[in-house]
Amino acid sequence: MPAPDPAPSGALDGATVLDLTSHIAGPYATKLLADLGARVIKVERPGGDPARQLGPFLGDIPGPDRSATYQFLNTNKESIVADLKRPGGREVLRRLAAKADLVVTTAQPKVAQKLGLDYETLSGLTKAPVLSITNFGQSGPYRDYRLSDTVLFAMGGEMWSHGLADREPLKLGGTAALLQCGAMGAIAALGAIHAWEVHGTGQQVDLALFDIQINNVDRRSSAILSYRFSGRLQTRPENASSGIVGGVYPVADGYVEVTATPGNYWNRFVEMVDDDALRDPKWSNPLIALDPSAKEEADAIVYPWMLTRTRQEVWAEARRARAMAAPIYSGIDIADDPVFRERGLWTEVEHAVLGTFPMLSRPYIFEKTPWRIRSAAPMLGEHTDHILAAEGYDAEAIRALREEGAIA
Amino acid sequence: MSQFLPLEGVRICDFTAVWAGQTATMYLADMGAECIKVENPFVWNPMTRAASPRINKMMAAAAPPWISGHPGGDPGPRPWNNSSAFIHVLRNKKSFTVDSRRPEGLAIVKTLIRMSDVLAENLALGTLEKLGLDDDAIRAERPDIVILHLPAFGRAGEYAESRGYGAHIDSVAGSSAVRGYRDSAPLSNIQIFAGDFFAGMHGAVAVLAALRHRRRTGEGQVIEMAQVECSAQMFPQAALDAAWNGREHRTIGNRSIEGFVPNGVFPTNGNDEWIAISCRSDEEWHALVRFMGSPAWATAESLATAAGRGEKEDMLEERLWEWTSSHARDDLFHALQAAGVTAGPVLNAKEATEDPHLAQSGVWKELPATEDYPATKFHTPPYKFSKSDVGLRTPPALFGQHNDYVYRELLGVSDEEYERLAAAGHIADTYDPNVIATA
Repeated sequence: MPAPDPAPSGALDGATVLDLTSHIAGPYATKLLADLGARVIKVERPGGDPARQLGPFLGDIPGPDRSATYQFLNTNKESIVADLKRPGGREVLRRLAAKADLVVTTAQPKVAQKLGLDYETLSGLTKAPVLSITNFGQSGPYRDYRLSDTVLFAMGGEMWSHGLADREPLKLGGTAALLQCGAMGAIAALGAIHAWEVHGTGQQVDLALFDIQINNVDRRSSAILSYRFSGRLQTRPENASSGIVGGVYPVADGYVEVTATPGNYWNRFVEMVDDDALRDPKWSNPLIALDPSAKEEADAIVYPWMLTRTRQEVWAEARRARAMAAPIYSGIDIADDPVFRERGLWTEVEHAVLGTFPMLSRPYIFEKTPWRIRSAAPMLGEHTDHILAAEGYDAEAIRALREEGAIA
Repeated sequence: MSQFLPLEGVRICDFTAVWAGQTATMYLADMGAECIKVENPFVWNPMTRAASPRINKMMAAAAPPWISGHPGGDPGPRPWNNSSAFIHVLRNKKSFTVDSRRPEGLAIVKTLIRMSDVLAENLALGTLEKLGLDDDAIRAERPDIVILHLPAFGRAGEYAESRGYGAHIDSVAGSSAVRGYRDSAPLSNIQIFAGDFFAGMHGAVAVLAALRHRRRTGEGQVIEMAQVECSAQMFPQAALDAAWNGREHRTIGNRSIEGFVPNGVFPTNGNDEWIAISCRSDEEWHALVRFMGSPAWATAESLATAAGRGEKEDMLEERLWEWTSSHARDDLFHALQAAGVTAGPVLNAKEATEDPHLAQSGVWKELPATEDYPATKFHTPPYKFSKSDVGLRTPPALFGQHNDYVYRELLGVSDEEYERLAAAGHIADTYDPNVIATA
């Protein structure tokens, strides 16, 4: 097991996080910390984080290390497998917790109690802060309810007004709601680390996925405040276009998203399309949007203009005119885009068994303390022996723990 | 409890706008930073305090509720102090006004920068530079400052000059392509821009990390976070499937990319009342089948595994759609959860305010009335710290509300100078009546 490369240092260099999270939200929170330099020790249950089973897989071949979900969420972490139901596993947890600057858990309250991951128990092992990320918090009628990305966004997020009026409400793509919650987890984690390092304050930090989505600024919090203020409910629209020009337009090689609301954005849009017919003052009359024939007239100009250009051509024209238009990119576009590649949105990771493969790189660029991949997501228990040896376990003790199934 | 605030003693000079920027600094303010919003009575920042500085009842009623849900439908004389879309992201902050385009105003801003630990901004590219506040100028005032830039498409590179709000950032970040009904062309992103939420949080994460480094080393730094590159991290499965396997992910409606079958949103017997159901395992599927009374369509051996169910997903969704349609949503929610099935109601905004769990969780806190809005329950931050008071400590900062504090206490401006600056229009609690309300 190669020790992580010490240089250059990250912003969170020297912070140790004991990571008892699994699946998506919790691991994203600790990934954000690990990628900025924290030492994150991931304690996996025997058999490993269930995210190892989530596709897509490298080369479409399933396997516990080949999961894109797992690889993305666990960069720069160390993995130790411990069975917290066994005394030997509990002892490992006790020793690791004592040295951590932060403990993060995602066990649901009932499970946490069973595994000794509740705050009452953990605070007996460490004075450091404990962040517990749960579905619905530590109390209340839904405390023990189950969640998925979809159910989370349905209940917590503003799903109800997302989609079309005559169809069912829509979730976000992928597992966006869970990843959003992970980002909030990182804020809470860093707040806790600051309080710990500055004030020596160890404490319980409670974070419920439901509460995070209720706070989702897009646009849950606005829709809720709007209802409280005005009694008006945001509803799903009849269709997804807006005004004379606006919405998704087909172009030669895909689609673009356009905003051309009255005022500046309309003027810039007209400048982008550069068609004199659209410069007629009649288009500035706010009532024109109510006239279906006007929309048809505009469409007759806009659609041919769009269809004879590629997404990149439209985007370049939009930049020239400072117009609000942008291409709709798929994952393929994001993977292939030369500008993103040049800026560094992609990197490569080296994996001891799988070789080298591409990985999404930094969400942000730090001038002095670079975001950096030091190591690929760990193999199951890859660091068990190393971590235990550092905690004073000799080879014989490690073998005994392994034989009783306390570690792996 | 304030002595345990994580960012106690940290001051932010806040030039952020719209949602991503303003939420980034809100999370930092929650954590105890003194966040001072720099506002200009003569410059209207689009989509930052309200849809427009001049908006009447009729205009508000014609606009979508999320942006124009002013109290009682009436924006009143100061719509920038009561917009449902924005004021809640101003909690725990302070607001002061200055016309930073004038030399004396710029000098005041520079004095504030000298007292600040962080400067955050996501104005249109080049705006700060035009004011004379490029990174070097900022660091000339405060060498160890942390500067957070949150440009839409980056500060450099071919796309840097692209304009866009959430809709356009989501489009390029890969959100729009995977967000929509399975059978239709991409849906215009007029409702939910997932990236604003995500980028705001990452902005706060970046500053929290940089402040730790600064506390330990004394070194500040510049952080650039292109919102589009941040948002791309929200769809890693699609991006990596493309990069690894050349596969393009498209819209899948409410289906799951985690292999959950069925996974969707189904109608119940109420008006526009829906329930989301996810069978996250074969056990949950069997629990659902038992709960439904083991109907013949659900009991085939081939449906025992997610892979088998995946082959019959259309049929399963149709049958479930029929089945849920005759049930009451909330009964079904609790009964399915009790039966061991992951399910939950699609709660609209009104229902969220009435939800019994949220009523107990402490997520709402009533704030007293101001001249601009009545007593109202606002959101509190989702993180609950047992010792640090990171909650809703002070109400949304009204425009110019903290001028006295900033000018007199912080900057030490004399009464005489204060009067002069007020007469010159720097110090105000309303926008100039002639401010141009351009988007």
